[in-house]
Order: sequence, then structure tokens, then C-alpha cells
Amino acid sequence: MGDYETETGVPRRSKYRRPRREISWVGLLIGVALGIGAGLFYAWAVDTRVEYDTEPWQLKPSDRAQYIAAVALGFSYDSDLSRAIQRLVELRPQVDPIQEVADVACDLATTGYASTSSGLRAIRSMMQFYRLQGRSGCADSLIPFEDQATPQVVIDLPTPTPLPPASKTPTPESAVRPSPTPPRVIAPTVQPQSDYIIAAINTFCATGSSGVIEVFVQDFNGQGVPGQAVRVRWDEGSDTFFTGLKPERGPGYADFQMEAGKGYSVEMPGRSDPTSQPLVAAPCVTEGGDSAISSYRVFFRPA
Amino acid sequence: MLRFLVSLIIGLVVGLGIGLYLGWVRFPVEFVNSPASSLSQRYKDDFIVMVASGYLKDGDLGGAVERLRLLGVANIPAFVQEVTERYISNSQNADDISVLVALSESLGRLTPIMQPYRRITETGG
Repeated sequence: MGDYETETGVPRRSKYRRPRREISWVGLLIGVALGIGAGLFYAWAVDTRVEYDTEPWQLKPSDRAQYIAAVALGFSYDSDLSRAIQRLVELRPQVDPIQEVADVACDLATTGYASTSSGLRAIRSMMQFYRLQGRSGCADSLIPFEDQATPQVVIDLPTPTPLPPASKTPTPESAVRPSPTPPRVIAPTVQPQSDYIIAAINTFCATGSSGVIEVFVQDFNGQGVPGQAVRVRWDEGSDTFFTGLKPERGPGYADFQMEAGKGYSVEMPGRSDPTSQPLVAAPCVTEGGDSAISSYRVFFRPA
Repeated sequence: MLRFLVSLIIGLVVGLGIGLYLGWVRFPVEFVNSPASSLSQRYKDDFIVMVASGYLKDGDLGGAVERLRLLGVANIPAFVQEVTERYISNSQNADDISVLVALSESLGRLTPIMQPYRRITETGG
């Protein structure tokens, strides 16, 4: 009986007699570790991924300053503080975002940026922005806040023509006495029915807003007018709603959900005529090939 | 020895894949000091809206164009037109569309789709 046999003659299990594994786990682990290290080195140092979807906080300082100037310019137009703050927060400022505007304005005021008129306007917009929020910066002392360079429009009023000197000859009194003018009766006129007109009706097809009438009531400058009543009529009824209830779409915006296959007319009650043709909620196909219901954009503007 | 070498090579290949995945996808390099030209489209669009608003405020078209140069776009009028038309097609905020249309029109890029969003300027008289 050999050393590796039991008394029954069955060979005893020995590490020398176990079948060899195909894989060396030690080698595999060392390989994985080396591979991960090499992969990370390659990905981070040799061939870094092409940059995309860069956010404002990643901008270099000079471009970041320009971005902040643009935020202030936007605020100077729409006076939307929350929107401006949101834009500034996306820059992930290390300090108070409004104070950063003051700091950047200070930096820009000491550079060549302030030597151009557009640069000056941008800095003044920034100054206006942070001053309104109670902050201050060195730009306040470097740049006069009032735009003194703005040319003043001088309107030459027409010179009044002097009246001719009074004649010494007395004007003979007319023998005919004028008959008393009958009192003018001014009949009250009816308030104009159409102080708004439908400036445009556009059709579009989108799955996101399928079968929707989007109404925009605008003033002469194209600015949305909130609180305006809009009425939609169809065969069985009508509905009146108001602009400005969805401020994210603008102050002069309102919308109405149509039912497929029906026709609708839109008007501003008492202020505009209804649409001459019904807006039909007809099936349509989007650019992506999806089925939807046709939608409309109706623009009301002052007549 | 051969067994060890084969395992090592297999481990290297697997590890390399894991390392590249981690380095390129899960934990990619975060760039800082990036130029504005590499901003994502969303922020480029927002930047144009801000500049267009500034233009409507101060009427300085040259200044607006100069600010938009920051985005590194070769043809600024065409770029403004493209963004404006995309805003209209995607039913974005009407006020934003309105300011973009005004800038696009000033750059000589008023297209039919923009017409309803034009600002009406009252003429004196």
C-alpha cells in the first residue's frame, strides 16, 4: 500500500493529486489591479474624455465674468430677480452670489473692459443689480452710476409767431347778430368692440402639447398682458379663462385643451372679434412620426 | 508559470475595461477653466437670451454681437436665428422668444416663423 492510498485502496486526496485549476487567482487579481490602474491613468491623463455639457461654474474666470455681466444685463431688462439669482447660483459662487456680482464689476471696472461703451453699460447693469440688493463694490467709486455719455435729445420747438400789432382802426360791429348756436348733442358712442385684433394664428403639431390652443395677448411692444379674458366657443358651450395664470409661459399666456374632432373659435370677449375660421382639433403627425392632435397659437394685439 | 501569465493577461484586460469605464463614464475628469464655447447648449441658449435682453435694454447691437463672440460661433446671425427658431418650435417662454426675435431681426435674420413674435414699434405721427 502506497503512502497516498487508504486501507481500502482508494487514493487519498492530496494537494498534489487535486486537479489543477485553469486560472491562477493570484495572477488574475494582480492583472485586474494593474488593469484598473492603467485604465484610470489612460482615461484621466492620456486620453481624457472630450468635454461636453460644460456648466457655467466650470468657466474660466474671464468668461465667468462675462457670463455674470450677461446675467445683470438680462435683469436690467426683465427685472426678474429670482431668475437672475438662479442663473448666478448655477455659477456655484463661493460667496454670496450678489456680492460676487459686485466683486466682478469691481474687477471689470479696473480693466480695459470699461473702456468701451458696451462694457460700461454692462458694468452699470451690474451696479444697478447689486445696489438694488443692498450690496456695494469698488465699481461704485470707479464708475459714475449715471450714464453721462448718453446723448441728450434736444427738440427745437417752433418759435412762436408774434401776433400782428393791433390795428388802430376799430372793427365795425356787425349788424347781423349771430344766431345762437344750438347746443351740440353728443350722442354717447358705443365703446369700440375691437380694441384687439387677432394678429396671427399658427398651427403646430407636437406630442407634448397635443390639441392645445395657446393664446398670447400682447401689447404694442409685444409684451404679454396678464389678466385678459379669453373665450373659447364650440358647438355645445364656451369657456372663459385669463392670461397670466401660467407665468412660466409668460404673463400674456393662456391655453385651452381641445377635444379631438371639434371646432373652436377664440376671442377676447368684448374686445376682439372671434376667429373667422374654426380651429379644428384634427389629427396630425409630428416631425418624429408620432400621432397627435393639431394645436394652435393665437396672438392678440392692440388694433 | 504559463497559467499565471494567462491569468495575469486576462486580469489586465478586465481591469483595463473597468478602469476605462470608471475614468470615462463614472468619474470623468471635471474640467474647470473652460471657455464659454464649450458650454452646453442649454446654457448657450440662456446666454443668448440674456444678451438679447440687454440689447433690447440698451439698443447696442455691436455690443450684443461682441458679447456673443464669447461663444466662439463663426456666424453669429445664423446662430441667433437657429436658436430663435428652435425656441419657437419648442414653445419656449414667449417673452424669451420675443427678445430673441428682436435680436435676430436686428441682425437681418427675420424669418416667417418669427413674424408673430415681432415687436410692434409705434411710429410717431
